[in-house]
Amino acid sequence: MNRTQKGAMMTLSAFLLNAAFLGYLFIRIFVLKSLPRVSDMAPLLLASAAMATWWVALSRKRQSPAEPEADERDKAILKNAVLASFISILLFLAATVLVLALVLGEAGSVPVYVLTFILFGVCLAAGLVYSVAILIQCEHENNDGR
Amino acid sequence: MGDNNISNRIRRLRFDHNEMTQQELADRVGVTRQTILAIEAGKYAPSLPLAFRIARAFNTSVEDVFEYPDGETSPDARS
Repeated sequence: MNRTQKGAMMTLSAFLLNAAFLGYLFIRIFVLKSLPRVSDMAPLLLASAAMATWWVALSRKRQSPAEPEADERDKAILKNAVLASFISILLFLAATVLVLALVLGEAGSVPVYVLTFILFGVCLAAGLVYSVAILIQCEHENNDGR
Repeated sequence: MGDNNISNRIRRLRFDHNEMTQQELADRVGVTRQTILAIEAGKYAPSLPLAFRIARAFNTSVEDVFEYPDGETSPDARS
């Protein structure tokens, strides 16, 4: 696994953990109608510690002492991933607006704090698509090369 | 990236040069092993500078490493 793939794995794990945490907050606050408890943070802290340990182990092991940060193919992969991420942002925003319009109707409105969740959702979607796009491109070419 | 019709003899040349590994070639030309793997499989077309560096790693010319099909002058000529 080269540095680009490792970076994508780390980014993906961080965004998945964040998505899980935000999902927990949303359910806790809006579905269960209660505030989160400190004791509920224990699994999150454990998961964060495990992830940090995995990151350290992943970053220490290198394919070769001469391995570059990113070569020309990695740059092309990153460029495609940025494009995919940008498109995902547009699609996510369009889908969010459409769903809200269909659910609430023409005269409907949402509280201002919903925009915060939409913003977090956009960031999560962009990060997830960016990481997955890198891993798919790398794995696709590696599989074909075997 | 993606499929291209430039073939290469990198795998053959590696074996002819003391069974050079993909990692050793990658270190010599300054790319990752995955890039060498993708080039050998024909899934990635290297840039001109990289193609020249690969040829120099084998002490040969670019034409001896890479081959473009005879008679093709444009991508639309493929049939």
